[in-house]
Amino acid sequence: MKLKVNRKNIEVFEGAQVRHALLSYFAWKGLDVRLLEQLTVLDRWGHEIDLDAPASQHEMIKFKLPYKL
Amino acid sequence: MKKILFASLLMLAALSASAQERKELHILSANDMHAAIECFPRLGFIADSLRALYPNLLILSGGDNRSGDPLNDMYEIPAYPMVTLMNMVGFHATAVGNHEFDSAQKGLAKLISLSTFSTLCANMEPDPKFNMHVKPYQIFDCGGISVGIIGITALGTMGLPESHPARMTDIKFFDPLETIKKYQFLREKCDVVLLLSHLGFDDDVKFSAELPWIDIIVGGHSHTQVKGGEDHNGVFITQNENRLKRVTHTTLVVENGKVVSRKAENIAVRGEMNENKVIREVVRYFSENPAFKRVLATADAPFSSYEELGCMMADAYVAEGKGDLSFQNAGGVRYDTHEAGGFTVADVLRLDPFQNEAVELNITGKELSEMLIKCYENDQKRFPYVGGMTAEYTIDPKTYDLKKLVLYGTDGKKLNLKKTYKVISNSYSVAVSPTNRKDEGQNTGIITAELIMKYLEHQGHVNYQGRTCLKEIKK
Repeated sequence: MKLKVNRKNIEVFEGAQVRHALLSYFAWKGLDVRLLEQLTVLDRWGHEIDLDAPASQHEMIKFKLPYKL
Repeated sequence: MKKILFASLLMLAALSASAQERKELHILSANDMHAAIECFPRLGFIADSLRALYPNLLILSGGDNRSGDPLNDMYEIPAYPMVTLMNMVGFHATAVGNHEFDSAQKGLAKLISLSTFSTLCANMEPDPKFNMHVKPYQIFDCGGISVGIIGITALGTMGLPESHPARMTDIKFFDPLETIKKYQFLREKCDVVLLLSHLGFDDDVKFSAELPWIDIIVGGHSHTQVKGGEDHNGVFITQNENRLKRVTHTTLVVENGKVVSRKAENIAVRGEMNENKVIREVVRYFSENPAFKRVLATADAPFSSYEELGCMMADAYVAEGKGDLSFQNAGGVRYDTHEAGGFTVADVLRLDPFQNEAVELNITGKELSEMLIKCYENDQKRFPYVGGMTAEYTIDPKTYDLKKLVLYGTDGKKLNLKKTYKVISNSYSVAVSPTNRKDEGQNTGIITAELIMKYLEHQGHVNYQGRTCLKEIKK
């Protein structure tokens, strides 16, 4: 299953949650996965969504960190 | 003069009749509660408060009531605590979420029989042998306002809701949009037509363009935090994030059998003050469930390292996930000692508390090696514990960079790098191990803690003293 995280194409397993897409994104980028719980995650409409949301429901997501890395 | 007086009286009478027909419908809606039983004392308080103001308050759930807390999901009757608490709060109806099927056919039928609220889903048809009382729609009389509610659930890529397919055998599912269209007759019969949807926000918006006869969609599934409600194609849509962070209070004004205004506000639930004390006591009762002290197996010798417990978890994935090989990220093993004696349900939930689900992958030995290396790199340079094999890895003692990896089968021979194996791991490990492989994997819908519990029960006795599955070489 494919979706875009901050414009990057990410492939995750079927039945994954938004959390897993973000973990994959962080793993590709070499970011510390412990930051995950601090993110604000938005859907393509700009609504907040939680990390447990089914990834299949979101073609694209973006996240914001509470501070600059 | 008489004529003017008569006309004025007629106008007054007409105005008065029109005022009498102006009514308000109040809806309290939750979605994707995912067994957040700890939030029910607060939810009960909110429902009580609104009901005191609006006695005909309609309370609805957009589905996925269960799956998220072992206190609920591993109760003797799985998910019984949520049903009891929803009964107490006074829910009128729920949609069927994909996670409702985590109870499997008989379990779901049992839960529905214990519910005092209706379970609505128009696009499913269970075999009569299950005696599963799911209705496609229901008309509620809310203080003289007739409200027709249609339930609907999302279908995934296989044409089934996203749960384990075996849990949906002998249940037929139908295309959501085409199914909803069959219930347009409710427009003629009801003042308000409401779609209780577990389709997700995107589909709610997409479908709204084809369903102008619906007044409001109370949604779920995508865990979308809508601020109050949004108008899309003339249809009002609400939804909240999961686990009862918030609920929505919607007010519809109905005049002459027609909705003339709609507004909604979010009410914070999680972490807020004021609770229903009776519900608090019931939640406490469920939280002290003696079933969690149940002994699954006897540890004949103590566990004295993370590796011993990690090997046991990896073995459980192979045995109960019916795989060839498995791996478990080291950071996911949450304690390193367990004394000899009883290994309980609570012990397993402390060992593996994350509610990660088991993922099945069909990958070659080479692809597995690449995943294990990624897992090592992204799990703070700790090598994952493996099952059905042993791993010998060489690291640089200064940088801890992984330089070489060799995998051996249980026969002591090197693993065939070209052969395809069925590998079981947890969803976290798979997510932090992104590689260019052919099979990204498939969520089995079974949490790994459940595999460990089954493994212990089947084994009866376990002894992992001195057991290793990893050999680290520093060079």
